[in-house]
Amino acid sequence: MSDPVLIAKDIRKSFQIGDRQIGVLHGAHLSLHTGERLCMMGASGAGKSTFLHIMGLLERPTEGEVFLNGVSAWDLNNIARARIRNRTLGFVFQFYHLLPELTALENVTLPARISEAHGEAPYTLKEAVQRARDSLVKFGLENRLDHHPWQLSGGEQQRVAIARALLLNPAILIADEPTGNLDTATGGRVLDLLLEEQENRGLSMILVTHDPKIAASCDRVIAIQDGQIQSDSGVEIPH
Amino acid sequence: MYQGFLSWRFLTARRINWVGIIGVFVGVAALILILSIMSGFLEQQRRMVRGTLSHLVIEPSPLPQVDGTPLPETADQLLATVRSDPRVSSACAQLSWFAMLIQGGRGSAYSESRLSNTHSSKLVGVQIVGVDIGDEFKTTELRSALDPPPEGMSFGHVPVADAEAPFSPPPGDTGESPWAWCVVGQQLAIVHGLHRGSEINLGTMVPNPDTGKIRQSNRKFLVAGTFRTGENESDLGRIYLDRSELHDFLATRRDHSQILVKLHDYDADGESLSNEFSETLSRAGFLRSADLNEVKTWEQYRGNILGAIENEKVLMAIMLSLVLVVAGFSVFAILTMMVAEKRRDIGILTALGGTRSGTLWIFLLIGFWDALLGATTGAAAGVLGAMYIDPIERSISSFFGVQIFDRDVYLFDHIPSVIDPYGVGIIVLGAFACTLLFAAVPAWRASRLNPLDALRYE
Repeated sequence: MSDPVLIAKDIRKSFQIGDRQIGVLHGAHLSLHTGERLCMMGASGAGKSTFLHIMGLLERPTEGEVFLNGVSAWDLNNIARARIRNRTLGFVFQFYHLLPELTALENVTLPARISEAHGEAPYTLKEAVQRARDSLVKFGLENRLDHHPWQLSGGEQQRVAIARALLLNPAILIADEPTGNLDTATGGRVLDLLLEEQENRGLSMILVTHDPKIAASCDRVIAIQDGQIQSDSGVEIPH
Repeated sequence: MYQGFLSWRFLTARRINWVGIIGVFVGVAALILILSIMSGFLEQQRRMVRGTLSHLVIEPSPLPQVDGTPLPETADQLLATVRSDPRVSSACAQLSWFAMLIQGGRGSAYSESRLSNTHSSKLVGVQIVGVDIGDEFKTTELRSALDPPPEGMSFGHVPVADAEAPFSPPPGDTGESPWAWCVVGQQLAIVHGLHRGSEINLGTMVPNPDTGKIRQSNRKFLVAGTFRTGENESDLGRIYLDRSELHDFLATRRDHSQILVKLHDYDADGESLSNEFSETLSRAGFLRSADLNEVKTWEQYRGNILGAIENEKVLMAIMLSLVLVVAGFSVFAILTMMVAEKRRDIGILTALGGTRSGTLWIFLLIGFWDALLGATTGAAAGVLGAMYIDPIERSISSFFGVQIFDRDVYLFDHIPSVIDPYGVGIIVLGAFACTLLFAAVPAWRASRLNPLDALRYE
């Protein structure tokens, strides 16, 4: 097996609410290998979204470390972490999270614009627009390029969000219940698209879902309960 | 940069943002328009305050020098000395005194009633100024004051027969009358019903500095026409006549009371030449002492009034600046609202690799667009409004059937307006600074938000 692209080590997270300290994660471990499709399951409030946000460098853990390609990400400064989110990670959210002021094409090119601001754009804006256009055409949205999110169906919005997440060829795709807000048929089509792209591009993916059928299509399934990983269909737990 | 791109999209997507832009637009346009009109009024007032003065005023003391040497009785030498300075364009001598005006003939009854009426006693005194008309025309604005007044202000105007020689008898004069001709202020002519050829009696008292006795003196003069300076005090209470005639009438020892000096470049030389003349003319025996301030610039001469006018302008600018503060507050309120609305989008941008400073710049740039659009269009509207304020006022007045600007009250035939490019620049920069300052607070708060709150709980 290849070296892990992501390692989350002994992650603990608690929130201060008034005088009370509420623990959400109690020492969660995880490793993700290149090209691996990992499914994360658990009841609502189990801590999977928080774990996902910590691994996605959106939320700092109370304790523990996240290694991305061997680098301890939370020891980096804000800008370096923002660069990693921009270039190494791709996010797909349950509620699509497109910017309503932008068209589908503009939403997809947004990561390229941000990477330009970081001074490390892999493509020119013109190239990025062409790549975004190609992706959207491939995803069957050739007639929706100039539509705003409110003019698109849920399935279309999620396909735009997937195109956006994949634009800069990230190493890791983080999908938080990507079909949770879609009907079964649409969700199925979106999931097929997502899995196909992940496989074709050889990406690592962490997929949060409640659906056992979706979990069945993953290489590895972990279950989170009460802030801890209760079961892992794979074996590897870093120490 | 994505910050510029997104800020523009956020700005144009919400109509509420136009409120901020319109606020800045109104503030800048109003400031420029009102301050330009204000400057126009002040410029007119300065011109009126300066009136028939020239750049420098030399007023030799009536007393002798400290060592007892009397000052020269004639102005010729003093004038020659002053004119010899290359910075001086021209100079003229004036002899001025005060007198009581009493009309002759039927008008005397009117004068009597005015003199005996305690409520209208302000018109009994007039200033009589003797001038050498050729030198005077070169040095002061008297020549233009003899021109026909602008439309709507010609009531009471009596044109002199020959504006180049106003004290000469008009054509057709039989020459039987022994009295000299004089030019009176237009308001004075209106009040006393004077016309060309009207006889006026001037009565005065002249002290004799040698004996200490006071001598009464009366003489008749004939009205040749009227002048209008726009300065009410002059137009209501001044009479011009030939200096030698006045000297003969008053029989004073000295034939001049002041020398007016016009410079080639007042702004460059006014102050320094005033001080220089004070020294050199004192040493040459034309003035009593260099410490007596006998040489003044016209601004020093009218210092109190000009100071009041400048104060007024500064106060007005400060008060009007509050309009920009109000516009800034509207930008602040709109951006604060937008930051609350955009919490989720800030979260998305963070997930896509955006930074806190990137978020700060997005909202700061929205303030910048507000300022740019509002200030530039406001400046253009303000400048255009100031340039065409007169036709605009006339159109509005005619449309609504109400006279907005009463030209009789201000004695202007148009609404004066002076556009100061430097002032416009300051206002535009002020609008930018104010708007960016007010935008900085919500922008900073946006950058401190925890965007995950929105992503997590949606």
